[in-house]
Amino acid sequence: MKIFPDNISTYGQEIDDLFYLILIFVSIAFLISIIALLIPLFRKREKAAYFTGDKWVHLKWVALPLTLLAISDFIILAKEHGTWARIEEQIPQADVHIGIIGRQWNWVFVYPGQDNELNTSDDIVVDEQNSELHVPVNKNIVIDIRAKDVLHTVTIPVLRFKQMAIPGRTIMKWFQATKPGKYEIQCSEICGLLHSRMRNFLAVEDENDYKKFLSELYQQNKQLENSLVSSK
Amino acid sequence: MNHTKQNFWTKYVFATDHKVIGKQYIITGLIMALVGGYLSYVFRMQLAYPGQSIPLYGDMGPQQYNAFITLHGMIMFFWFAMPILLAGFGNLFIPLMIGTDDMAFPTVNMISFWIFFVSTIVLMVSFFLPGGAAAGGWTMYPPLSITAHQPTFWGSFFTGQTFLLLAVALEFVSMLMGGINFLTTTINKRAPGMTAFRLPIYVWFANLAGIIFMFSVGPLIAGAFMMLLDINMGTGFYDPYRGGDPILFQHLFWFFGHPEVYVLLLPSLGVTAEIISTFSRKPIFAYKTIIYMALIASVLSVIVWAHHQFISGIDPRMATFFSVGTILISIPFAAIILSYLATLWGGSIRLKMPMIWTIAGIGSFLIGGLTGLFLGSDTFDIYAHDTYFVIAHFHYVLIPVVIFGTFAAIYYWYPKYFGRMLNEKIGKIHFWLTFLSFHAFAFPLFFSGLQGEHRRIADYSSFDSLMTLPIQHIRIISTIATIILISSQLLLIINVFWSYRKGKVAGRNPWEANTLEWQTDSPPQHGNFEVYPEVYRGAYEYSLPDRTEDFYPQNEK
Repeated sequence: MKIFPDNISTYGQEIDDLFYLILIFVSIAFLISIIALLIPLFRKREKAAYFTGDKWVHLKWVALPLTLLAISDFIILAKEHGTWARIEEQIPQADVHIGIIGRQWNWVFVYPGQDNELNTSDDIVVDEQNSELHVPVNKNIVIDIRAKDVLHTVTIPVLRFKQMAIPGRTIMKWFQATKPGKYEIQCSEICGLLHSRMRNFLAVEDENDYKKFLSELYQQNKQLENSLVSSK
Repeated sequence: MNHTKQNFWTKYVFATDHKVIGKQYIITGLIMALVGGYLSYVFRMQLAYPGQSIPLYGDMGPQQYNAFITLHGMIMFFWFAMPILLAGFGNLFIPLMIGTDDMAFPTVNMISFWIFFVSTIVLMVSFFLPGGAAAGGWTMYPPLSITAHQPTFWGSFFTGQTFLLLAVALEFVSMLMGGINFLTTTINKRAPGMTAFRLPIYVWFANLAGIIFMFSVGPLIAGAFMMLLDINMGTGFYDPYRGGDPILFQHLFWFFGHPEVYVLLLPSLGVTAEIISTFSRKPIFAYKTIIYMALIASVLSVIVWAHHQFISGIDPRMATFFSVGTILISIPFAAIILSYLATLWGGSIRLKMPMIWTIAGIGSFLIGGLTGLFLGSDTFDIYAHDTYFVIAHFHYVLIPVVIFGTFAAIYYWYPKYFGRMLNEKIGKIHFWLTFLSFHAFAFPLFFSGLQGEHRRIADYSSFDSLMTLPIQHIRIISTIATIILISSQLLLIINVFWSYRKGKVAGRNPWEANTLEWQTDSPPQHGNFEVYPEVYRGAYEYSLPDRTEDFYPQNEK
């Protein structure tokens, strides 16, 4: 069994590497501590040694491991901060700007209309159970995350992507997917009765397929608009 | 102390004796642990065998599932861990350990137990309300917790969420009163000679826990009150469409919720200190350092709450601050654990039941503490947040602390309060079943979490990636282990009752310990001591080189 699911995002590997780095540190710390815990149990002594540990000579047995721990803490922090800054603080120029809205119990996707800009009047909203979020491969995808009713959390494990969606706020996040395919989008914040069913898909496509999808979407939308106009 | 004759009511029910009140807290807490354990049995069965009828329960829907996980968390924290570790043990041990007759305010003490008891009733009633118990997760995040219940025929007051908030408020009032009582008692009622640095570590840690609780609980009470208003009066503190903000509640909740873990950790680490020193026959290593480190950890614990909100869109620079603070907490805690390990070295170790529980507790807690480093890192939290990795982590923190710590204390102090020893043979079987089933339940969850299994899902069948065989096997293993874990507690119950009648008579000081509670009768009479003790030395003077006996009671001249 692999430890993580496949990674298809540009920054996923860094997160996985961070995990392994911390794993190495904590495994060493754990092994040493467990050995230090168990050895005295197997050594039979008639009379215990008397030392209170208040002298500096004795305290080195605590101070030394603590220093090592502090150093590993700072290595972890230094390593992780670079990744954090790249993922959370610097949102790159968007190749594609898309909206995701959480509602009970479905992810709603908002695509920019033909002006290629989000939050304009020609945005196209797809609100269907089990629908797919289409994005092109190897492009910077910037997402506006919102929620309609309660808290939800957009979770796409293969991208190592997770962000809470909060009513009243728009939160901007980004990713770049490196491998075409169809992946699950989960909701990982409890959001009521059918929280377990709140599942959609992310469809990562190559440039041409994505363009084809967009033009079909525009066409469907136009037909829908026309039918609405004529029915009036 | 009033030694007038007591009738049944003043002796056992509305008692002002701290020993009786301590037992009342512990018995209520253990009964609630059974309720919380039963809930976990039901929802673990649902996870392993979704859609099937559950023995001893029946069919389960998503609403019940959400309610059961909500109440499992709430009960285990506030109606099991807190009343036992802090209120129960605090009442039993503090007055005896500091050498006095009772708490500073015995009547307040009695009232705080009964407020706690009423909160238990309110909580249990909430299961039987028309809309069912609260189902918004134990963190009660709005807006879900506000809107999860449709107002019933009686309005929105008689809903699970309102009752839960009411119960929590009552419980906190009770614990606040208790905490103030502990502090006042420890400051004012110590035996002559009992200076600050001669206090047993448990007394220090219980008081520190009380202080952390007092500092952190205010914002949550305010937050819960605003939530009550939102539910019942139509205000909009947490509703963005009325000018509120759901994130406000998260800050108020975790400002309390994070330190709360330390409120539980500290008393249990205090129990550990008492036992480890007594059963190694050695002074606790670096007594003062341990206390200073606990002070540092307590301060840090109150300023790192927002590490629970890394993925809720907080400012990335703010997240960095909380991440650094969280990871640095590893240092004072490691210092405390290292001191305990150093206490073992060179010791003449007696592997009696309390010591076995303590060693197992420290060893298992290491896994919980170290996995905290993964989650303290904001970057890795992007992936791990709300997965079973988190669940495995906090069960590895809390079970060794709350459950193993409680058992260690029960085995250690039972002779003092019931006059007889607990049976070691039954104890060993109980230990191995509990220890092994705990690891079998919690450890595999790290793996399913890393696979992306997110929590609070009643039925994973919608998610193909989470229905692979390894993950399903983990679900089943974990469920079976939970059942063994819960049912093996029967042995403890049997042991407690059997030993009460047939156990070996304990005598005053069966473990040859130094602290004052062992220098009076078992069980101690009303008023605790015949002659009030005077204290001449610290609590951990074991194996002094120039003494023939390897212990030296604090009150011996």
